[in-house]
Amino acid sequence: MRRFRELVGVATAGLTARKVRTLLIMLGPILGVSAIVAAIGINESSKGHLKAKLQELGTDLIVVNASAGLGFGQDPVIEAAAVARVGRLPDVVAVTGTRQLSDIVTVPFAGAEDYYRAFPVPVIATGTDLPNTMEVSLVSGRFLNDFDEASGARVAVIGRDLADEYGYLAGEARTIELNGLEYGVIGVLDWVLLEPSMDSAVFLTFTAAVADWDLDDPDPSRLYVRAPEHTALVAKEIPTVVSLGGPDGANASVPTDLLDAQSQVDESLNNLTKMMGGLALIVGGVGIANVMSISVIQRSSEIGIRRALGHSRGTIAVQFLFEALVVGVFGGILGALVGAGVVWGVAAQRGYTMVLSVAGLVGWSLVSVGVAVVAGLYPSSKAARLEPLETLRLG
Amino acid sequence: MTDSTPPEEATEDEVVLALEGVSRVYGTEVLVRALDDVSLEIRAGDFLSIVGPSGSGKSTMLGLLGVLDLPTEGTIRVRGTDVTRLADAERSRLRGEAIGFVFQQFHLIPHLTALGNVETALLYRGLSPKDRRSRAMHALEQVDLGARHDHRPVQMSGGEQQRVAIARAISTDPGVVLADEPTGALDSRNAENVLQIFDDLQSPERAVCIVTHDLHVADSARRKISMLDGRIVADELLGAGTRVGS
Repeated sequence: MRRFRELVGVATAGLTARKVRTLLIMLGPILGVSAIVAAIGINESSKGHLKAKLQELGTDLIVVNASAGLGFGQDPVIEAAAVARVGRLPDVVAVTGTRQLSDIVTVPFAGAEDYYRAFPVPVIATGTDLPNTMEVSLVSGRFLNDFDEASGARVAVIGRDLADEYGYLAGEARTIELNGLEYGVIGVLDWVLLEPSMDSAVFLTFTAAVADWDLDDPDPSRLYVRAPEHTALVAKEIPTVVSLGGPDGANASVPTDLLDAQSQVDESLNNLTKMMGGLALIVGGVGIANVMSISVIQRSSEIGIRRALGHSRGTIAVQFLFEALVVGVFGGILGALVGAGVVWGVAAQRGYTMVLSVAGLVGWSLVSVGVAVVAGLYPSSKAARLEPLETLRLG
Repeated sequence: MTDSTPPEEATEDEVVLALEGVSRVYGTEVLVRALDDVSLEIRAGDFLSIVGPSGSGKSTMLGLLGVLDLPTEGTIRVRGTDVTRLADAERSRLRGEAIGFVFQQFHLIPHLTALGNVETALLYRGLSPKDRRSRAMHALEQVDLGARHDHRPVQMSGGEQQRVAIARAISTDPGVVLADEPTGALDSRNAENVLQIFDDLQSPERAVCIVTHDLHVADSARRKISMLDGRIVADELLGAGTRVGS
């Protein structure tokens, strides 16, 4: 143990005496380990974020889009009766039809026509149970109800982003102008995570849409279906239920499948980043071998005098190996800290929850130690093979 | 190298170093016989100098006496042990215990203090840090550098650096101190100081051997070995005495 302490002392003294060189040697393991830890940590945090989002959104929402049937020249729609049929499916707990209206210029206040003509706000005719189906609440006011639907009242609900853009105050009695017709704003819908386009949309009833906007019938072009059980099976059945073998078709999809797939893809990205980090570590190892070999030449006189003082070849080799070991240990620890710092910074900036595996940090630090020791083998054996007589230049 | 007990002190007249029929040949295609069938005994209490012109083989002999090199033929004995038959670890241990070195260029480790340099000779011997420090400090005090123990080589004069090197050589209490041109890099005043220290170092238990081409330095010893063309051509006693205690 005493000998071990002496070896560590000699190695540490050798390294601290040449701080810049030691830092340069350490850069290899620091960069390698930090690159791996950061890449994996960011990836894992992002994956964790996606998974959390999936949990939040739920994986049981089905989106059904009408596909073109025989009605050439018309936008494809799903007949209103099909909405009721889908709603009667055993596992379906909620269904809402929507239809985006075209050629409507929404103007929140006088003088803004030109801007909103260039950047139109989506106007959506919707069933009254949209908040229930999308599992979204209202920030203020209320959503469209059966009375609005039955009476065809000119009332609208707006998305949260649109409300912010318009400077809408909760409870404020306000109207917006749709192609010159005044609609009263009765509520603001919260953010719809699965359908972000709704955040800046105006919602009105199908009755109002048919009455005011030249709509032939209250048929939706899209259905949102909530089916907590057997979601995939329900999604598969819906096109048949909608078309009943007729020409009008529909495509059903589960949007969270995409997110789910996204969170799975990360494994291959993880492997790639591990390979890149491994490569960086190997390059770092080559750097250690290189700088330490030069160091052995520069310190040949010191090696010679140590040999003359009775240090064996083995002791000299172990001394240099210990220097490599110390470089690996500190390089690994610093690299892990830097990597963790980068993950923390990125997670904070992107709003992720930081995911870092302690086993990973320790593991990659140990890999750094291993690489450093292997890299130190050549210079240390070179140091041990130096002949003291050649380095001491007697006489 | 294994931890070892401190070496036993040599007794007067004991042969501490011996070369028996030693030859050293360098090269593979063109052979250079640097040392040719040389025999020499160094006893405890000896104060000898080895002189000779450049190329006479005195540095080769110093390397062999210090067990820094091995002969092509012949035997080197350190306190009776044939070192040519030992493995490197054992040979290194014996070298560290029995022989102290002083070099012309001092060869101090630049990033260590005077005390650290002396302590280097005492590493891996099973000493506690406190004992190691105390022995190193004692050696520095013997060369009047106790007050400069925390100075680095670059903060010291040539004469002081050589005294640190001497302290390092004697810190292990070796049976023989081998010095290679110890005054070669010093001015005359420092050279005299260093020679005086060597004179003081000599004791019935310790031999001092100086390799030099400076006749004045050679004549300060009590036994002078003259070399030429790889052979000993003269082995003479100088002055009144031969060895301390004799």
